[in-house]
Amino acid sequence: MIGLFWICTVVLIVTAIAVIGSKHPVHSVVALIVNFAALAVLFLTLNAEFLAMIQIIIYAGAILVLFLFVITLLTIGTQPIEVGPSRLSFQAVPSIVAGIAALALLAAGVRGARMAAPAAPPDFGFVGTFGLQLLTTHLFAFEVTGFVLLIAVLGVILMAARKEVRF
Amino acid sequence: MDKFLATVPFTILFLPLFGAIVIAIVGPRVHRAGAAIIGNLSIFGAFVLTATLAYTVWQMPATQQAFTVKYPPAWAAHPAFWAHIPPLTISFELRIDPLALVWMLIVTGVGFLIHLYSVGYMAESRWYRTFFAYMNIFVFTMLMLVMAGNFLWLLVGWGGVGLASYLLIGFDSNRIAAVAAARKALIMNVIGDVGIMLAIFMMYAHFGSLSYKVVFANITSASTNTLDWIGIWLLLGAVAKSAQLPLHTWLPDAMEGPTPVSALIHAATMVTAGVYLVARAHPIYDHAPAAAMAVAVVGCTSAVFAATVGMAQYDIKRVLAYSTMSQIGYMVLAVGVGAYAAGTFHFVTHAFFKALLFMAAGIIIHNLGGEQDIRKMGGLARRMPLAFWTFLVGTLAIAGIFPFAGFFSKDAILDQLLALHHPILWAFATATALLTAYYMFRLLFMTFFTGEYRGDHEPHTVTARTMVVPTVILAGLATVGGFLVLPGRDEISRALQGAYTDRGTLPAIGEINWFVSGVTTLAALAGIGGAYWLYERAPELRARLGNVFAPVHRLLANAYYVDTLYHWIFEVPVLTFASDVAKYIDPEGVGGFSAGLARATSGVGEAMRGWETGYLRRYGLTMVIGMVLVLAYYLFVVHAGTSIGMR
Amino acid sequence: MIPTNDYLAAAAALFVIGVIGFLMRRNPITMLMAIELMWNAGNLVFAAFARNFVDMSGQIFVFIVITVAAAEAAIALAIVVMVFRRRREVDVDDVSVLRG
Repeated sequence: MIGLFWICTVVLIVTAIAVIGSKHPVHSVVALIVNFAALAVLFLTLNAEFLAMIQIIIYAGAILVLFLFVITLLTIGTQPIEVGPSRLSFQAVPSIVAGIAALALLAAGVRGARMAAPAAPPDFGFVGTFGLQLLTTHLFAFEVTGFVLLIAVLGVILMAARKEVRF
Repeated sequence: MDKFLATVPFTILFLPLFGAIVIAIVGPRVHRAGAAIIGNLSIFGAFVLTATLAYTVWQMPATQQAFTVKYPPAWAAHPAFWAHIPPLTISFELRIDPLALVWMLIVTGVGFLIHLYSVGYMAESRWYRTFFAYMNIFVFTMLMLVMAGNFLWLLVGWGGVGLASYLLIGFDSNRIAAVAAARKALIMNVIGDVGIMLAIFMMYAHFGSLSYKVVFANITSASTNTLDWIGIWLLLGAVAKSAQLPLHTWLPDAMEGPTPVSALIHAATMVTAGVYLVARAHPIYDHAPAAAMAVAVVGCTSAVFAATVGMAQYDIKRVLAYSTMSQIGYMVLAVGVGAYAAGTFHFVTHAFFKALLFMAAGIIIHNLGGEQDIRKMGGLARRMPLAFWTFLVGTLAIAGIFPFAGFFSKDAILDQLLALHHPILWAFATATALLTAYYMFRLLFMTFFTGEYRGDHEPHTVTARTMVVPTVILAGLATVGGFLVLPGRDEISRALQGAYTDRGTLPAIGEINWFVSGVTTLAALAGIGGAYWLYERAPELRARLGNVFAPVHRLLANAYYVDTLYHWIFEVPVLTFASDVAKYIDPEGVGGFSAGLARATSGVGEAMRGWETGYLRRYGLTMVIGMVLVLAYYLFVVHAGTSIGMR
Repeated sequence: MIPTNDYLAAAAALFVIGVIGFLMRRNPITMLMAIELMWNAGNLVFAAFARNFVDMSGQIFVFIVITVAAAEAAIALAIVVMVFRRRREVDVDDVSVLRG
């Protein structure tokens, strides 16, 4: 178990770096897929089977496909690689510094008494349990989430129906 | 009667001020004659009231002739009139005694005559009304000075006359020379003010009060050393105000002011304030012989100094200015040795003949279209007889020829000098009398005789009556004024007795000391003779002497280069410093500071522009930095010391 | 069992990588993918604590986050397409209309 955890964590980190570091967006998407896979395994270790499945199906299966579509749409005839130096001065170094500072602070925040998870009931994280919780205790959130999706769809349709927009 | 005595002094004091205020408010709206009328009326009214008051007071027994009048009871509670800073209380009090009355009479009387004279003299000035307002302010402050009942109000009047002098010297503000002279006068006067202030501080420290009554009553409680110092500081003030050595250089320059100003302020009244001060503070000098001797020495040296310089001047008014300095030296010398009556007597006669001389000179200058250089005059005796005869009267008076006023007063001083055992001072004073006669008659000859008229302008010969009448009146006073003091009828001493009750009987100055008078008259005649010979009879001799003594002549013409000395010691460093500050420190320092503020503000603005770039990633960075800060705060401050946070 | 702290540390690392990626890349698509990384880090934390406190609410929340992330991705990509359709280079720094 521990070994699995560590392998997955390493993969997680490495692919994350690959995502942000790749020149070509398609490479980033591929790395991201592997990242999601590792994350799904981590969910599995956390007794969140349903979530692991959802992660693969929706995130990797739908959203990243969407990303690929858009990349294709945008890159017909052009190279979607960043050309030229950055116009923003004092962006790179402060970003890294801030990031490392954030990491240090977060790490300082999470060390402390080791929290061991107590024994969980066997149906913890099962689909059934999940569905029951979703549709009873957290019904309201479920319904609102539906609205959010509806509005997102509406927004996208409206934007797509627009004529040329000059920026 | 008592009510009269209690209220009239205040009326006298404030009438000129009231006149000035009325001129200021109403003057611009009415014809300019209105300002002249108001000015003259207010001073004349003050004079009449003063005369009445004086008459009343001199009817009273001598011991009662001195009294202090405090603010009228109706104003008793008004805080503007007195200062109460515990434990010091200064009230607004006026002291009326014969000494003050003599000064008041001269200030208002001669002041009124000069006001009248100004109506004609200043007729061409654009700021006619302002002139009368300023003159009224001067009379007010001078009265304040002489009527004050404590040293603080004396100082107020002291400063006030300095201000009036500044305003009036620089009256023609378009001329740089006038403005510079006014500034110089003010600066030197202020040096004197410092002296008086130091004396006031010492007085307060020792006596706890500044009121004449208190200070003079307890005079013996202070040590001689203290009194010496108080006397020296008061002397500093007197030196500045009365243009004695070494603070005299402002007086010749003050002649840039209009002639009436020179007559009133720089001849008859303001410059005598130093004499008044010593005469008023006589208990201090009676008990501080060293300070008194210092006063006498200053007066004597000033008298001699000025007389020598006057021999080499070519501007009418400058000669008169140096003669004023010299005559005031006489007065200061007199009060320095304790001859208060003689000094006051000379003040009175000097007011008469000096104002007269300035007025006559003013008539000449006015009729010659502004010419003041006596080398450009001559032969005016026939052309301007009025000016000539009045000027002659004045010159005879100042030279001390019997029976004119100067004879009596000058001889009184010289007599007292010998009587009080100061032979050296007497010798110098007599020598000065010789020089005085010489240079005054030199002035007379060069102006009115020595051949034909050498000037450029054709002289007018018609003079306004308002200018003629006061001049003639003063000529009359200069003639008969001496008879205030006759053998057996010493009016002056009798008059002043009331002020000096603590000294016992004042020495009578009416007795003619034949030795002194004889010597003095001989000296005067020698001076006149010398002037006559050199200027009328033997101009070749004069030219040859001029060549031989050229360096001496130059020294005298430049007043021993004192002015130059002061220029290099004081003016040059200060002006260099000021111009350096203006050129370098001000633009860089002060200007730099303001510019720096502006630059800092705009710099901050520039820096803050960096946040409104419109770049998405920049916004993100800002957010992340904020997140880091919040995290740090959360860890280090909120949860510090717990297991979650940091120590 | 693996202590919850380790999961949190992994999530922290994932999150910071997402942050740095967002700030340093100029391609809008890549930036959006970095944002996805940040979403996922948050999800991991929720799931870890759900297991820690044996409370399904954490997992429910993860579900909702995924849904919202999907909606957001859709809209964001639509915007990106609209903005960058006619351009030759795809650089998010070109869009600085909010400047000033």
